[in-house]
Amino acid sequence: MNNASFVSHAELADLLRRLSEQAEVWVPTRQAMTPHRPMFRPFQAGMDLDFQPMPVTSAKGVLFPQGEELLKFRKEKSLSEATVTTLLWEDPAVFRPTIVFGCRPCDARGFLVFDRAFLQGSFVDPFYKARRDKNLVVSMVCPEPDAACFCGAVGSHPADTEGSDVQMIPVKEGYVLHGLTEKGQEFLKNVENTPSQAQQEEARQVWTSAQGSVDSGASLTDDAQHFFKRFADTAFWRFHTERCLSCGVCTYLCPTCYCFTLTDETNGVHGERLRSWDACMFHHFTQEASGHNPRPTKAERFRNRVGHKFSYFPEKHGRFACCGCGRCLRHCPVGMDIRAIVRALGESEEVHD
Amino acid sequence: MNTLQSIVESIWDQVDVVLGWRVGYDPLHPVPTFVRDRKDIASLIWNPLCAPNLSVFLAKFFRTASQRDKKIGILAKGCDSRSLTALIQEGLVDRDRLLIVGLTCPGTVDPDALAAARTQSGPITAVAFANGMVEITSADGVECVPLDRVIERRCQRCRHAHPVLYDVVLHDFEPRPVPKDPFAHVEALENQSLEARKAFWLKELERCLRCYACRNACPLCVCQDHCLAESRTPKWVTQKDTVADKFLFHMIHTLHLAGRCTECGECERACPMKIPVGLLKEKTAQIAMDLWHYESGTDPGARPPLLSYDASVTGI
Repeated sequence: MNNASFVSHAELADLLRRLSEQAEVWVPTRQAMTPHRPMFRPFQAGMDLDFQPMPVTSAKGVLFPQGEELLKFRKEKSLSEATVTTLLWEDPAVFRPTIVFGCRPCDARGFLVFDRAFLQGSFVDPFYKARRDKNLVVSMVCPEPDAACFCGAVGSHPADTEGSDVQMIPVKEGYVLHGLTEKGQEFLKNVENTPSQAQQEEARQVWTSAQGSVDSGASLTDDAQHFFKRFADTAFWRFHTERCLSCGVCTYLCPTCYCFTLTDETNGVHGERLRSWDACMFHHFTQEASGHNPRPTKAERFRNRVGHKFSYFPEKHGRFACCGCGRCLRHCPVGMDIRAIVRALGESEEVHD
Repeated sequence: MNTLQSIVESIWDQVDVVLGWRVGYDPLHPVPTFVRDRKDIASLIWNPLCAPNLSVFLAKFFRTASQRDKKIGILAKGCDSRSLTALIQEGLVDRDRLLIVGLTCPGTVDPDALAAARTQSGPITAVAFANGMVEITSADGVECVPLDRVIERRCQRCRHAHPVLYDVVLHDFEPRPVPKDPFAHVEALENQSLEARKAFWLKELERCLRCYACRNACPLCVCQDHCLAESRTPKWVTQKDTVADKFLFHMIHTLHLAGRCTECGECERACPMKIPVGLLKEKTAQIAMDLWHYESGTDPGARPPLLSYDASVTGI
């Protein structure tokens, strides 16, 4: 554990202020009206930072904004020919460097799912790439996994370093920081202090105890193998999705859900082409122009969500499209539990129609 | 003495399905369950953590072709029974398809408030209710918190803790007394200046994700897959991530519930960002009472004011 730095509680705000001069620094902050649900916001002096509870939102908007302008256009009528219109394109804004500071290890791993979707294969998403190239992730060893957490069941743990450039470990007097990548080590030049022997030792203990602090049961890998066997079992999917409200809480809070829609938002002769979050739980997600909808009910829609995360994506990319953060379950108005559904795939239980 | 299980047993032969709650992923989050097998009656629970309003499934699921003829047993707290009544009023479910098990309600628990009230931090392994106290068990031991301190905002203003419509009633809990001023929260906001109110809503709605949980958890938002929030032809609301678009959606949502909202507060409970969207609908409920002396969801035979037209009405 060499190459470590230390930042005390008292110095943290100043560090973030200095970092903000070079980059947009996204931190979990507490809002006055929702003290128990911190969310990621660009750092500003005087903010009420809170690294303790799991933030309600993931940091995914940093790399994949909820609404992103891809281009602007303007129609111009030709003076000579009344019917001719010209489309004028404007390049989108330049991308600022960003730092995600103090996310959970699960959130950091979530970005790796995005990387596969947006950067691998023959089509590289230029917008995502531009953001990702200038992005750095500082994750924090997870202080308190709760009953909805299941990173352990998707091949991770609360002290995982995968996907992080820097890992911060909470100790009594502040945070011990470890650079994990080249970028991360470069970043640590911003933090002058080194931890004492005692702080190093405390960090080691925090790390070790966090590593084993989530009880997620067995890995979901074996259960997920049964997805195709269950695919056509309509009664199974109806039974397990009956209480789903078809809202977008699960997908919008999910660090790994990356589906989007493209719309042209026009206002007179001006307009923007917008990429915005979409959710496979919504009816219109697969609505076709003909009026046909291949996923007409929530049973087909939820099946697709399970399949995408635990079967199709792993088959193609070698990992679950799920980081086990548990937000989909924790904040679902009716407690839809995707873990339980994956676990049930292989069971031979009788279901009722 | 009646228990939840004995009551459900007693109606079992008259229904095809019973909508109730069972234990969810942890003791704090009971989930809706659809009981179709007699042996599953044992899994049903009722306590102040059973927050979801089960009437949401009636217009959105039990109106489909395969479910239209099903007889439904349904557990209903006071607010839930108002939603059921409103659905009957609007012809969205037939009264004779329903067997309503009314539940006297002491208020439902706000999990965030409970987390704040705790002095211990270990994961909760059990929750029990007795004598107005919530008894929380974790690895750190047992601690008690007064239920009054941790109930949801919607329940602090509830006027119908005793169900308004039922076939049989279960009196497991003392119904919460009617508060002096049920519209105190709305009035506190309304007493502020226009600028302050605008600033309040812009700040609150700015964090809206447009996940539409508020809409989908609402038992009376019945347009289902044809909501104009997502309609592209015509397009009313853009996909832009701006507070103006979010504001517009919430205003449309509110106005479509004017004179219909039964103040169950599910919109606000379902919101992951904890935006107090219930306040908007409470205001319309207050207007309906002031203007027409109408309280939605309290009389199955009454006609909702905005579903009728009376040329003699003045003052609108």
